[in-house]
Amino acid sequence: MVIKTRESENVVIFDIEGEIRRSDTAQTTLHSLVKAQLDRGRRNVLLDLGGVEFIDSFGVGEILASYISTQNLGGKFKLCRISKKLLLIFQITMLHKVLEIHEDCDRALESFEKA
Amino acid sequence: MADGRLERFLNRFGDVRGREARAALTLSGFFFLITFTFYIIKPVKESFLIGFARPSWWPFADLATALLIGFVVALNARLLNRLPRRTYLTACLLFFIASLFVFWFVFDVHRTMQIMTPVADSSGISFFLWLQVAIPKFWPFPVFVFCFWADVFIVMSVTQFWIAVNDVFGPHQAKRLVGLFVTGGLFGGIAGSALAALMVFARLIRPEDLLLVCPALLVLALVTINIVYAEQRRIDAAAGDGPVSAAARVGYLESFRAVKRSRYLLLLAAMLASAMIAGSLINYQFKTVVKSAIENSGDRTSFIAVFFLAILAVSTVFHLVTTGRILKSYGIRWAILIAPVFLIAGSLAVFLIPAGAMLAWVCAARGGDKTFDNTISQSVRELLYVPVPAEVKYKAKIFIDMFVNKFATGLGAGLFLLLYSLRRFEYRADQPLAIVREIGVLTLIFLFLWLVLTRLVYREYPAVLKKDIRPKWTEGRQAVAAHVDVDLTLKIFNTIQSRERSTTLYYMNVFNLLRGNDLAPELKELLGIKRDELKARAMDSLFDVAGGVFFPGLEEAIADTEFQSEIDLVFLLPSYQEIMGRRLGEIIGSASEVDRIEAANSISRMVPDPPTLQALGRLLQDPSAEVVVYALNSASVHRRPEHVPLIVRQLANPMTSAEAQSALAAYGPGIEDLIGPILRASDEPLEVRRAIPEVLARVGTQLAADILVEELARRRDDVEQALVDALYKIRADRREVRFREKAVRPELLFLIKKGCDISLNPPGPAGEAKAALNIRIKRIFDLMTLMHSPEDIVNAYQNILQGTARSVDYSLEHLDNLLDRELKSLLFPLIEDLPPEERALRLKKAMRLK
Repeated sequence: MVIKTRESENVVIFDIEGEIRRSDTAQTTLHSLVKAQLDRGRRNVLLDLGGVEFIDSFGVGEILASYISTQNLGGKFKLCRISKKLLLIFQITMLHKVLEIHEDCDRALESFEKA
Repeated sequence: MADGRLERFLNRFGDVRGREARAALTLSGFFFLITFTFYIIKPVKESFLIGFARPSWWPFADLATALLIGFVVALNARLLNRLPRRTYLTACLLFFIASLFVFWFVFDVHRTMQIMTPVADSSGISFFLWLQVAIPKFWPFPVFVFCFWADVFIVMSVTQFWIAVNDVFGPHQAKRLVGLFVTGGLFGGIAGSALAALMVFARLIRPEDLLLVCPALLVLALVTINIVYAEQRRIDAAAGDGPVSAAARVGYLESFRAVKRSRYLLLLAAMLASAMIAGSLINYQFKTVVKSAIENSGDRTSFIAVFFLAILAVSTVFHLVTTGRILKSYGIRWAILIAPVFLIAGSLAVFLIPAGAMLAWVCAARGGDKTFDNTISQSVRELLYVPVPAEVKYKAKIFIDMFVNKFATGLGAGLFLLLYSLRRFEYRADQPLAIVREIGVLTLIFLFLWLVLTRLVYREYPAVLKKDIRPKWTEGRQAVAAHVDVDLTLKIFNTIQSRERSTTLYYMNVFNLLRGNDLAPELKELLGIKRDELKARAMDSLFDVAGGVFFPGLEEAIADTEFQSEIDLVFLLPSYQEIMGRRLGEIIGSASEVDRIEAANSISRMVPDPPTLQALGRLLQDPSAEVVVYALNSASVHRRPEHVPLIVRQLANPMTSAEAQSALAAYGPGIEDLIGPILRASDEPLEVRRAIPEVLARVGTQLAADILVEELARRRDDVEQALVDALYKIRADRREVRFREKAVRPELLFLIKKGCDISLNPPGPAGEAKAALNIRIKRIFDLMTLMHSPEDIVNAYQNILQGTARSVDYSLEHLDNLLDRELKSLLFPLIEDLPPEERALRLKKAMRLK
């Protein structure tokens, strides 16, 4: 898994490539990266999952932990470009009720501005 | 004047902040003009009443006002509800201006007994001729009308002023600014009294001609209040707060019902009524003594005039020196007590003092009552209205301030008359001490009632305040818990993942999903593949995106109780346990990660004999995180103490940390003694120490909470965040757990001081320092939940961070009432919207730095 961080306006975007799974995780986890951004005062986080083929339970735990950390500080945590397969699983598990998911990353960025 | 200079100037009279300076000054100017006008009208009213009505009629003037004021309240409530605020205030002021001309005309006609300047219109001449006959005929009825009008003017004007304050400022702002407003009022009173006294004393004009000065002042007031509302509309639009508008259309009865429906408003009305009755009785004590001590009418009038001027002067000094400081340092909580406590002490003294000191005592008592009423009591009274919801506030305020206020004064007069007739005071006029003491007993009853009611009102105050502090967002954990079963979700993702790894593991996880029990991989072979395949095919649809249904046949499988029973029976077979026990050793040594995962998973269903537990111990140290995760799950089932150190070691690994925390938490109460020492051991890896508080939070016992607080007291920066997070979680989830203020408060103070340090000595560039401070402030609020209601603190934090100007102010006011003086003095400069220099100044002062 490769995670690249960039910023657009006041939104921190994590572009993730590969699979978010336990076995592919180095010492730096997604949650620790998100927390570092929150510690820097950033409050709007967007995960671009366009390059993600698979997420295991560890990955879901990381996403939920990132969401909780962001939400507790009054921030916004959103996902974009999630695959149809993953979206279906997110729907079954009701994760889509908690995590704001956008098909398109530009729309997601616009939604931060509106909020 | 530039805003900065204006702010510095106004700060002499109250705690005025940048953007609010103009509105505060304008409103203070409005109050100045209103009281200026009233203190010109007041001597005219008193002079006419004394001159044209017999003394025995005086209490009836108060009673008449008490009875008639209800009609004015009804009319006023109707106007307030029907008209936009600005129109309503303008209309009222225009009415008072017009009335002043009418009264001047009536008094002038009475004095001169001449027809007014002839007018061309014949009907006009007839009207003035009729007046010339009617005014002397009905005299002194117009004087009573004027007295009533003057009462209505002052009560309405003051009420309208405080309505404007409520419209423009929030409770915390109002508390800071009330000193400035009251100063405006007191200066207006002094200016009005001085002007009236000088003009009449110097015989420059007749008393009734003073009424012609008042319209000019009221026109200025009209301009002033319109400026305030025009500016406020602009600020509200910019801040996103709703505009001030007329409330729902309800009448007088609805105003009464609004008060009746709210326990807080009922208590407030009762408190103000008690204060007014006590004040009225003190007034009669004063009159009785003054009448007895100063027999000459001229001397008496002169004495009373000087006395009231002195009260205004003393009130001004007292106000400038104390009101703002008391409110700022001690808040409403203690400020509300000052008047009744001092007056009780003063009233008790009447039973001890000799007759010779009676005049001095009564002046002190009446002076004290009026001084408090002009200053701290007035300020507190108005602040108590501020948090009342807008739709109720104005109805209630008019009803209480106008009707209850005057009715209570009338009731005081009625009680005096009753006592007068029962005790036949007229036969003991030579014993003022006895009369005053008998009134004193009655006064003390109402003063004590006032005192009790202040406590009851204050107890309700935070609840009223909180209604306007609504959550801005749902806390993360709550938001997730509301929609997602996290354990089930993780199991589903595990199952999907396991399919690519091993069919066995996949089936195992499928059955885990189906019934919450574990299923050993070896059992699959015994049961036969067909049935499993059926289940597996159901899971295949997970990967068939085009398929519409997940888990077809799921309900059928769950209902298959015979099948589930068969599985349970096999697990209990001694032969199964024996075979599995023998195979475990081989599997653990296997190079296959999948085999080890399956073994780690199977152990959860096995009898915990020594070989099995030993195998589990080895799997907990497996180099593969996947294996360890399954082993941790099995360890959480068997919960053996010998595995705790191995599980603890996994806390250091970010890939297994969450599962290790869950496994340790599954041990439940009792684990605290095993992991508590690890938390304290500084030689343990930092990641381990940081992960343990979460485990203790999930265990959630009193002992776990005590360990966390104890560790927090060691003040180690590296685990501070984890400790506060864990304590916050326990507080939110386990209401039965108690936190001792004695233990928590020093840590809270320490955290706030660290926040102050960051603010005064920023660790890096401005952006980083601000972010660090924000994180620190969040931590402070989280810790604060241990001492106060978590909902209140969370809501206050959220509103301070993202609320509108009004909700921020309500939140600050709420905290102001919750926290003690030291905590407030340090925390408020961190969270209030202040210019950097001002913030630094306040922080240094609070931390006693030079």
